[in-house]
Parts: sequence; C-alpha cells; structure tokens
Amino acid sequence: MTYIDAINSALHEEMERDPNVFIIGEDVGRMGGAFKATKGLLDKFGSERVIDSPLAEGAIISSSIGAAMAGLRPVPEIQFVDFITPGMDALTQQAAKLRYRSAGTQTCPMTVRVCYGGGVGGGLYHSQSNTSWFIHCPGLVVVAPSTPYDAKGMLKAAIRNDDPVMFFEHKKLYRSIKEEVPPEDYTVPLLKAAVRRKGTDLTAITYGYTLQLTLQAAEQMKKKHGAEVEVIDLRTLSPLDTDTFLESVAKTNRAVVVHEDNRTLGIGAEVSAIIAEQAFDCLDAPILRVTAPDVPLLPAAAELERFCILSVEKIAAAFERTLDN
Amino acid sequence: MTTASPITEVLHREGSQQPDPELLRRLYSYMLKCRIVEERIRVLYRQGRFAGNYFAAVGQEATEVGTTLDLQPEDTVAGSHRNFVTNIMKGTPLTLLFAHIYGRATSPDQGRSAPAHCGYAPLNIITPSSTIAAQQNIGTGIALAYKMQRKPNVVVALTGEGATSLGFWHEAVNFAAVHKLPIIFVVENNGYAESVPVSLQTAVEDISIKAAGYGIPGVTVDGNDVVAVYTAMREAISRARSGAGATLLECKTYRWYGHSEIDPAKYRDPAEVEYWKSRDPIPAMERNLASRNLWSDQWKQELTAEINREVDEAIKFAESSPKPQEDEALDHVYSFSIRERELKRKVWSPRSQMGASWR
Repeated sequence: MTYIDAINSALHEEMERDPNVFIIGEDVGRMGGAFKATKGLLDKFGSERVIDSPLAEGAIISSSIGAAMAGLRPVPEIQFVDFITPGMDALTQQAAKLRYRSAGTQTCPMTVRVCYGGGVGGGLYHSQSNTSWFIHCPGLVVVAPSTPYDAKGMLKAAIRNDDPVMFFEHKKLYRSIKEEVPPEDYTVPLLKAAVRRKGTDLTAITYGYTLQLTLQAAEQMKKKHGAEVEVIDLRTLSPLDTDTFLESVAKTNRAVVVHEDNRTLGIGAEVSAIIAEQAFDCLDAPILRVTAPDVPLLPAAAELERFCILSVEKIAAAFERTLDN
Repeated sequence: MTTASPITEVLHREGSQQPDPELLRRLYSYMLKCRIVEERIRVLYRQGRFAGNYFAAVGQEATEVGTTLDLQPEDTVAGSHRNFVTNIMKGTPLTLLFAHIYGRATSPDQGRSAPAHCGYAPLNIITPSSTIAAQQNIGTGIALAYKMQRKPNVVVALTGEGATSLGFWHEAVNFAAVHKLPIIFVVENNGYAESVPVSLQTAVEDISIKAAGYGIPGVTVDGNDVVAVYTAMREAISRARSGAGATLLECKTYRWYGHSEIDPAKYRDPAEVEYWKSRDPIPAMERNLASRNLWSDQWKQELTAEINREVDEAIKFAESSPKPQEDEALDHVYSFSIRERELKRKVWSPRSQMGASWR
C-alpha cells in the first residue's frame, strides 16, 4: 500500500469508528484533496463531515479548534505547509496554549494534516518543511511518519490523542514507496522513535522522506567501508524521544543528523544539543548536520533546487567525514 | 441594518407588551454588580494587591450585560480582554473571579492566564488570549460543533471595533455566514482601540454595515442602553437558535478609562469623556425604572450592600487561597506529563550501552 492510501484508509476507518471525527480543508470534498488523501470520504460520510472550506487557513484551523473544544475530533487538511501562515495564530497561540491556559479544562483534540517537503520542483511556496515553527510551540505534538505503516497507525493514534497534533506528510512519500499495511485496526504510538537499521559505527538521526535517502547512504557505507550505520527515525519531532538516539550514540560514539528543513534551529540543532548535553563523553567525533542551507526553500529551477535539497551523496559524504574523525 | 434605537422605540417595537419588571431590575442589578466589581478590581490594582494589569469595561456595562444575560449554561461566551465581567452574567462564582485576579491556585486556570483573561469551562467561557479576533474564530468552531451535534446552543463572540480591521475576524464572520452557524458577533464599538480612534480604524459610520458583505444581518444599537442591547441580542439569539444563522451586532459605547490600568488615556478630549460619562448606562436605567415605578433609593442601597458583601467575601477567599507551587508551571502542557522530561536528565557515560545515570 502507498503512503497516500495508508492515510486515506486511516481516515476512512477513523470516521467509521467515531462519528465525532470530521474533515475540513480546501478541496477535501468534491476533489478528494489536492493529493487525494481524502478520496471517497465525501461520498461515504456526506458534506457535513467532509467540509470543503472557504479559502481561509485561519478559519480552517480555528473552526477545528473550536469544534475540538466542543467535543468533536477534527482532522483539518492544509494542502501545503507553505500555506499555513494565515493559521499561525490559531496554531501557536490558541491550539498550543488552550490546555495550558485553562489548566486542562479546555482541550483541543485536533489533528492538522500538513503536506510538506521539496524535490518536486514546487518552488518557494510548495516545497518547505517548516517543522521547527511548530516544534517551538510547547502544547503541539509534531509528528512526521516516514512509512505507509506508520502513516496509518500514527494518524489513527493522532486522531485519538487528546492534544493538538501537527501531522507532517512528505509529498514525495505519497506514491514513492509501498509496503504491507494491515487492513485491520492498529495504532502506532506517538512520542516513540524507531531504529530502522541496526549499526555499531555511526548513528544517523532523521525523519520523514529523508529516512529513505539515509538508509541508502547507510548501505553505501557498508559496501564501501564495511561500516554499519544505525539509522534512527524520530517519527515524533516534539516532544522528542531522546532516549532512543542517545542510547544509540552511546553505542556508536558518532552522530549525524539529517533533515530537509533549513539548518539554523532545525531539529538537527536540538538533537545535536541534546547529544552534547547528555552524551558528550561518548562522542569520538563532532556531530554533523546534513540539512538545507539557510536560504528560502526551495528555489524553483532544477539546478538551484538540487543545490539545496538533500541527496544520498550529501548524506554519505557526511557519514564518511564523521567516520574518518 | 437598523440604527441606534432609544429605549422607547425598543419598547414600542414590542408593542403594548411591557417588559417584565423583574427583567428590567435584573438588567440594572447586573450592571451595578459589574461596575462595583470592576471599580474594586481597579482599587486592588492601585493598592498593588495583584500583579499584571486589568482592562476595565467601566462605562460599557449596558453592552456587557445586555449581550450575555440569560444565556444557557451550554451557550459559549468567546470574549476578549475587556469582557472579564461577562463571567458574572454567565454565573462564574465571584470567589473564582477574584482568585483568578490574584493568580491563585484556586482560580479556574490555576494562575496561568493574565488577570483579565478568565475563562470557566463548566459554563463554556473560553479562556481568552491577547491576540485579537482569535476567540471569534474559535467561537465559530464551537458554533460549527453545535450545529453538527444538533444542539440548540449559541456562541456569543465579543470584540472591540479594532478587531474588525483584522483579516482573521472576517474569516470567522464569512465562515459562520457560509455555514449558517449559531453565533452572534458582538462588536463593542467603544471609540478606541487602545489609543487609535475608530475613524482611523474603519471608513464606515456603522460597523454593522460590514455584515452585508457576508450575507448576514447587521444591527447597530446604542450600547449604553441596556434594554436596547438586550432586545437586539434576544432577536439575534433566537435567530441563531432557530438555525437561521449568525448576526453582527454593533453596540456603540464608550470606555471610561484607559486601555488598561497603566494607560492614562491622554489621547482623548476630556470633554468627550465627560459627555459619555453623562450618558452613564446605570443612572439611565435608574431613570427608566423610576418612570415605571420600579425604583427606590433604598433598593439600590440594599443591592449595593449585598454586592459589596459578596465582593468582600470573594476577595477574602482569594487572599486566603494558596498560591500555585512553582513547579506546577510544568503541568497541563499536554494530556501527558512532561515533568520527568523537564526535571530529570539522563547522562550517558562513555562506551557504555546501558550506562545512563540520572543527573
């Protein structure tokens, strides 16, 4: 099953399971979503539970927050994270703080599905990652599943979770990989990282689409140098599961963080700081980051995009530098 | 759109049926209670008995009371920084309101929100935020839920006129209009958004005209006439409860004091302030009651004494309430605890797979 079908299947199942779950967003109904994540939902559940919203991200997210407060389980879709800025007050000041500012008496069980990521020539407004904007907001759970299995299981877990969840889906994952996804109900717990490849020589920490590139770069290290790279998939970016990567770094003594977002204050900065604080004595080499440069992401022309986007080669080069140290 | 309607017109609109004397008395007594509570809060602030700031609605009581009296417990109030007293009409106990002002552990949010930002979940009062028009948008979502859940409830969303300059406010009104949601957008036009006069906020005379752009009714009333506000609000609420959708209600009123307790409001002409003080909604209602033989000085004295007693007790409750424990700052961030994550750090020792120790 593809990633997009896994998302679609999770939505179908959750809407069947719980009448409080509803979908709202631009083009989610008649069109079935810009990427077809919500395909078939309108026909099955009707226009009251699958709402083609006005073109207004602030209202999409705010009305979801209010509906969540009143007992529903909204799953708003933001077509591209690049479009989310009109909803930033709603997310960062309302959804994130509602539980806190009411001492737990007003809550927001909402799952905001957001498409992110570049490498498809989308240009400056269809390519960004911007996960850090939300990681910086305590109160929001930020997840970015990297496989179809996780996409289905984590989306179900997010919808059933009582916190506002930012659910990041990389557009290149939608149709590029397939795996067995159980047709029955299952959830994948939030807040827990996964070890995707066992290794002893270096720990690579990543999430989302770049997991695929990181795994390929790890295979290259094995072939070229006989080095075994352990690959950690963060899965949830906030709050971070720190133990999984710290235990790995304590074993391998080397760390490389890989992400597609800008370098400065990206998740790599946080992961590096945590390793430096809690496993400094375990390190045999400086922690390296493989990220986009600090430019607006992503320039449209293929040459410019290629310079900014990650590749197996760029990740492998960082592995080699770290292993050489 | 209708324009400001004096009391007589409103009564005339109701035909020969006279308003319920008890209702008129209640409208008055709630205005008096709001006034006494807020003036007391201002004194407490000047005495340095609580930290932060306060945003008084003194002078605007007719609007506060007229728009929020007689709501059902499940109806939602989505207010802003200047709607603290709407809690009184909704029924939040004064003890909790003063515990909130003092930031005590007994307040509904256990000391988290600023003094003017008091919500109360059991009565569906959204804890406000300082970003303007946010509550109106959240209120729209609550109204969406009421509609989907087939509940007969309504949302009263209050802002000042400044909010109507934000795109975000318009997103809420448009969304509510498209989906015929049970929400009333109350705009308390008190002439100033902090220091900026309404003439620099909008080019229209009546903000209610903006409703036409969304296909919902817009009404402007004299916001210092509690009967006019209450009557217009009743119409809007019954429209909303019947499924006919949203209304924009503009109440033209005036803020007696500065934006907050630290604002001397020197940007206003003193003559303007005096004019509006001469239109104080409370004596106006006294005259209205007197004209119906529903008034006596003794009743006012008794009422004042009773309210003062209740306020004294609430202040005593607040001042004797425990303060929050410092590390309670870590609670209620998520549905799960982050205490261990924040308070304990595991540190890994070299070359030891299981060698983590707590520091």
